[in-house]
Amino acid sequence: MNADATTVFRPPVEKTAWLGTDPIPARPYYDPAYYELERKAIFMRTWLNIGHVCELPEPGSFIRRELEFAEASLLIVRGKDDVIRAFHNVCTHRATQLVREAEGRTNGFVCPYHMWNFGLDGQLRSAPEFENFHTTKEDCALKQVPVDTCGGLIFINLDRTNTQSLRDYLGEHLAGRLEMAPVAKATGFSEYVYELDANWKMDYDNFQESYHLKFIHSRTGAPSFTPGNPFGHSETYDFYGPHRTQTFWPHVDMSVTSPTQQVLMGAAAKFVMERGLMPNPTNREYYALFPSFFLLGSPTQHFSHMVYPLSARKSRGVVRLYWVGEPQCASEMLAREYCFLVAREIHSEDVDVIRAGQRGLNSGALDHLHFQQMESLCRHLYLVSSEMVEAYKDEQAAKGETA
Amino acid sequence: MTPQATLPAGFAAGEPYVARWAATTTAERARRRSESTPDERQAFFDAAAPRLQDAMTYLDAKSLAALDAADKRLLNLMMAFSHVQMAVEVHREMEPRHAAWREAMVITRSTTDLA
Repeated sequence: MNADATTVFRPPVEKTAWLGTDPIPARPYYDPAYYELERKAIFMRTWLNIGHVCELPEPGSFIRRELEFAEASLLIVRGKDDVIRAFHNVCTHRATQLVREAEGRTNGFVCPYHMWNFGLDGQLRSAPEFENFHTTKEDCALKQVPVDTCGGLIFINLDRTNTQSLRDYLGEHLAGRLEMAPVAKATGFSEYVYELDANWKMDYDNFQESYHLKFIHSRTGAPSFTPGNPFGHSETYDFYGPHRTQTFWPHVDMSVTSPTQQVLMGAAAKFVMERGLMPNPTNREYYALFPSFFLLGSPTQHFSHMVYPLSARKSRGVVRLYWVGEPQCASEMLAREYCFLVAREIHSEDVDVIRAGQRGLNSGALDHLHFQQMESLCRHLYLVSSEMVEAYKDEQAAKGETA
Repeated sequence: MTPQATLPAGFAAGEPYVARWAATTTAERARRRSESTPDERQAFFDAAAPRLQDAMTYLDAKSLAALDAADKRLLNLMMAFSHVQMAVEVHREMEPRHAAWREAMVITRSTTDLA
């Protein structure tokens, strides 16, 4: 490699300098007490991605989603009026969970215990011997959870008192970008799921830094490492309130791929072109929405990745490749198979190092972690989440309660 | 259980690989790759790589809905090939380690499952 230093890409330090350079405390990445604060300060009162409108194609369509960090089971339902609502999957009689199916289509929900019958709008329609109760049907509607969509993505907020709209939370710029991305038109998806012995930030951080790419993805990511940018730095970083983006380096070197790979990748590119998904301003953007959601804008590998915390040292990732329209021919099937397996291939390469990092943290050996510029998004996530934890502690103190 | 010769005319050279590789779901194709030996993968790769383009040209002449059972088998075989290509051309000697890592990523849905 004889590239002159002056021709090598220089990361945009001016975009990230404001985040500072301090070492980051290690404890928030493994401590159960700190996790409990994050759970209450962040996950119990922030908009979280939970699905996509293509899962609710018609009135009566529903999905059930389990959120273990909240011990909550939610039903997300498209009503007869076409409105998407979310409810706790809990009968208002004596709290029995109503629905066991993961998804389906129905006219309403009937509790298996005493046959309380709820409409798609959550209203109690009937209950045997209801006249013997000392309440009203209006008071017995299913408990509703705030729900909203942007770019086809469904978000819920477990805080019933929440007053900030999803659009306000995302901001105009990011909301507009999501609406332009292929996900907004998606009609289906392929999905893989993993559970990992790692704190949600350890898990998530791996996927928002480029520093590891050259070492962990040396073969699958080979086209990204070029003499002009040997470590595959992102071209730039941007920050929008609690959210952040990175823009990938555009000058990949496809000559390092085999003739077979070029056939497979060529098919993938051809079909996104035919579907009018390219060019698109989201092509090289990687959107990191607080607290733990990613979307890669590129239409050839258009995936979302949501990390759900399970405990201080355990998390679950759900990765979805979103597709626009049904495949029209065999080559489009093959292209989708290939895009899906490549994404899974690359994500699976990260599992071992993330787990190893968590084991290291759990030992308590380190007081601090260090982030370089390529890890600016990790630094930003820590700064935002720790600010929210501090704000929560202050709120509790003001109420005279311990956090 | 010996499947009959079941690929479209012109693709008979693929017959020895049908039983092992032409699975109908993405999850099953991924599993078979992970459970295969290096020799099995190499033999399938060597046989299929030169015919990939021909197979897709043949299949693309029909709409997906018009594919018959033999056509679907050929398509499943080529989709399995895309998995094996990754093992043979990209991971090479590292494939066994990658197979262990991939187990963590459980496929729960795929739009390329052909019933």
